[in-house]
Amino acid sequence: MAKQAEDNRRKNRAKLWYNIAKRIAIVAAVLAGILSVLMIVNYLQTKSVDPMNSKAIAQLMTQLQENPSDTALKEQIRALDLLARKAYFIYQWQIRTGSYLLFAFVLILLLALKYMSSLQPRLPDLSKSPEPDEARENKFISRKYILFGGLGLFILAFILGIISQTDLKNIGIVKTKGGQGAAVFPSIEEIRNNWPGFRGPEGIGVAYHTDVPPEWDGPSGQNILWKTPIPHPGYNSPIIWAKRIFLSGADRRTQIVYCVDADSGEILWQKELNDIPGSPERRPNVTEDTGYAAPTMTTDGQRIFVLFATGDIACLDFEGNRIWAKNLGMPDNHYGHGSSLITYRDLVIIQFDQNTGGRLLALKTLTGDLAYDQPRDVEISWASPILVNTGSRTELILNSNPFVMSHDPQTGQELWRVRCMQGEIGPSPAYAAGMVYVVNDYARLAAIRLGETPDVVWEYIDDLSEVSSPLATNDLVIMAASYGAVTCFDKKTGERLWIQDFSEGFYSSPVLVGDSVYLMDVSGVIYVFKAEREFRLISQHELGERAVTIPAFMHNRIYIRGEKNLFCIGD
Amino acid sequence: MRYKSRRSKLFIVALLFLFPLLGLSQVPERVPKPDFETDYIRPDFLTPTPRATALEYIDIGVLIVALFLATYFAHKQRSRQNIFLLMVFSLAYFGFYRKGCICPIGAIQNVTYALFNPAYAIPVFVIVFFVLPLVLALFYGRTFCAAVCPLGAIQDAVVLKPTNVPGGLAAVLSVLPYLYLGLAVLLAATGAGFIICQYDPFIGFFRFGADFNMVIFGLSMLLLGTVVARPYCRFLCPYGVLLNWMSRLSKRHVGITPDECNNCRLCEESCPFGAIKKPDEAAPPANREAEVKKLAFIIVLLPIVVFGSGWIGSRLEIPLSRLHANVSLAEEILLENSGQRTELTDETKAFRASGKPTEELFAEASAIQRQFKVGGWILGGFIGLILCLKLINLFMRRRQSEYYVDKGTCLSCGRCFSYCPYEQVRLGIITPKEAEKMGSKEVKIKQFRA
Repeated sequence: MAKQAEDNRRKNRAKLWYNIAKRIAIVAAVLAGILSVLMIVNYLQTKSVDPMNSKAIAQLMTQLQENPSDTALKEQIRALDLLARKAYFIYQWQIRTGSYLLFAFVLILLLALKYMSSLQPRLPDLSKSPEPDEARENKFISRKYILFGGLGLFILAFILGIISQTDLKNIGIVKTKGGQGAAVFPSIEEIRNNWPGFRGPEGIGVAYHTDVPPEWDGPSGQNILWKTPIPHPGYNSPIIWAKRIFLSGADRRTQIVYCVDADSGEILWQKELNDIPGSPERRPNVTEDTGYAAPTMTTDGQRIFVLFATGDIACLDFEGNRIWAKNLGMPDNHYGHGSSLITYRDLVIIQFDQNTGGRLLALKTLTGDLAYDQPRDVEISWASPILVNTGSRTELILNSNPFVMSHDPQTGQELWRVRCMQGEIGPSPAYAAGMVYVVNDYARLAAIRLGETPDVVWEYIDDLSEVSSPLATNDLVIMAASYGAVTCFDKKTGERLWIQDFSEGFYSSPVLVGDSVYLMDVSGVIYVFKAEREFRLISQHELGERAVTIPAFMHNRIYIRGEKNLFCIGD
Repeated sequence: MRYKSRRSKLFIVALLFLFPLLGLSQVPERVPKPDFETDYIRPDFLTPTPRATALEYIDIGVLIVALFLATYFAHKQRSRQNIFLLMVFSLAYFGFYRKGCICPIGAIQNVTYALFNPAYAIPVFVIVFFVLPLVLALFYGRTFCAAVCPLGAIQDAVVLKPTNVPGGLAAVLSVLPYLYLGLAVLLAATGAGFIICQYDPFIGFFRFGADFNMVIFGLSMLLLGTVVARPYCRFLCPYGVLLNWMSRLSKRHVGITPDECNNCRLCEESCPFGAIKKPDEAAPPANREAEVKKLAFIIVLLPIVVFGSGWIGSRLEIPLSRLHANVSLAEEILLENSGQRTELTDETKAFRASGKPTEELFAEASAIQRQFKVGGWILGGFIGLILCLKLINLFMRRRQSEYYVDKGTCLSCGRCFSYCPYEQVRLGIITPKEAEKMGSKEVKIKQFRA
């Protein structure tokens, strides 16, 4: 009896503890549940009030950009920012504290459940006799699962492998015979067979396609094969590779590249470039006669390169796909950046002269990576670089104030410099037979003989060019002034051979086509005269609209960008 | 009773000896924190700060002692209670105090990374943490899993009503640890990252802070763990694969019974991990010839399966290589450069600010992708091999007349001990005669009440 009473007491005590544990477990579970819900809600709230992404602050920041001196607005932003941060950190504290509480409740719940479980041990269920073939049956099922599970796994992996694509394998690295990745760049013959940049091949204003239509007239349409309106403004000149013409346009909002079919004049594609990483949100102020797209593009025959006044530079393929793009830093330039691009082997070179911190930059054509960045101790300029082969080496020659400088185009290393310029340099250098010619208004026309120690061999100080670049032929140097004077010199002695006044001024530069010089004035009239020691006008032709760009000469045709249209002249 | 009491005292003394050491400071930070003039309170690190070398050796000491005790409790004492207490200690020390780092599971990656990157100087204590449980498993089975691993301990603490995972499903899920191990080794070898640590479901609990998704993952595992015992250990843990291999070779593995099995079936459902195997296949199957042919077919097919799965693995070079930060960054830079993405990420901004040429990054990314191609071959082949071996194993016929533990999957947790009548005899609860009669309801009840 005593034993039975003891058993009953033990049972009752166990039952009592079981019920206590059960209640504790229920309370802990409920509290843990409520806390979990609160923490999830808290987490979602935290996500929605991330101070780093506050829309209200972003809106106020935009307003501040438009009105940077608004002190009240600044205070409002600070106050709102502080509020958002406080809220964020309070939420963080709540989550942290909640975690500790939740941990405690779960721990209590577990202990209670474990205790309950220990008070009610489960006995093994031996009511069912083991099936004789149970193990075998299990093995059979397992085999099927493994087989089909494995198959499913590999099918999934295969599909994932098939649908996964990467552009990393197609980043334009061309395998050479040596197996090394390398850029493919055009030969000098290919360059001369096309019109790849500002002032044609090598940037010296010499055309190698000399079959040019003798007659044309823009207003009447005579020999105008096609005329295509170019929507966005740009003072850059067209460049041509094979049958494709490229030019850029830009205004304060849009930066765009056009590709035009050389035969039909149809715009094959146009590519906006408004989302270049690092591009300044506020566009630079530029003057009307420079604009946002003054630099002429360039090409290496596979890719085209474009630079805008914002400092945005981009590389596209011939189909308009962006290969790379970056911002060089907004040019500190009071008129707007005007220097054009030029390519040398696997580099695209930029004369990035500014009011302060001018640089000579070279980027890899394949990737846009910086190849070199040479600081320039010169004043700001708008001239473009030219490449000259002196016979012993290729030099990159830059006209700037006060130095005319030569660099190794591959490394950027300075080769020589001559102090001879002053003022705001616009015209680019000219080169022929070992002589470099540079000019600027209010400075001089200087002839520099290359050699061990390049030096000025002659100079001329009247009727100077302001924008138009000079042209050097085998015997002559010709320059055109912005007020209409065209002057011809003996290349070796500097003797003025002739001067001719025209009614309109010249921003465009003369181009040597065979033995003739083509020079367009700002009204769009092209004068054709012989490159001779005496002035002999052969013909003159009207385009029908104002123009300041350089005509491009290719395959018996002339391509001219007017103020509104791109013209193709041919017969 | 005196015996038990002495053991407990020893245990408490050991803990008392160890816990004061926990208060020792961490090593000074290499970069001093800035002082704030405001009342701003600097938050603590979520990841453990570097420890002084002396403390690292203390960690090794704690590991050695814990492993010794786990083995002692399982093999000599056969005490589930002490194993459980040691497990609680390990959870507190290696889990909450050491915040789950370093642990042998994550050490797989350190060791792999050190093997493939000679410039990486792997700390000695990491090697010790990696090797010691494996060496012990080679002789005594997975006692590390039983009571030392904090990840196992936290799961074990939540086991409430364990149910058996159906055999077929368990067979498929048992492949996952191999896959996880292979992936972890591949990613560590290529320097892509330490995914075992990154996706440790319980680290958030140990550190009281983690990514929301990881907290959800951890909670799910714990919730699942209430009915499916130790789901991470059984169906994910990559270190478990290595322990499994070692444990299979162990000669002194813990057994259900301290004596001979009398097939009383009492232990049949005692293991929540499904490690107890029933006597099987006394008689050969009726279709034995067909079974042998199938087995031969699989053996012949094995090289083809390994090669084919290796090829499929190699096709995963692109998605897998994206797990490497450099490849992912290179692709983002490409997207931005080509205008397909207009918003810059923090990573690409930082990269662009670094001035490092993208060409160099692309070259690195391409080289990494090539590594993943080779790694994909090996990973695919490895998984193919494992699947084939599992299939072969399922065709093999065993003649097992007693209940036994699967040495590979048994965690030496000691749950089954008390179910064995001969264990009860050893403890003096029932007599040998009663043990022989096991199967009768009265004896069972007596046994469990005790």
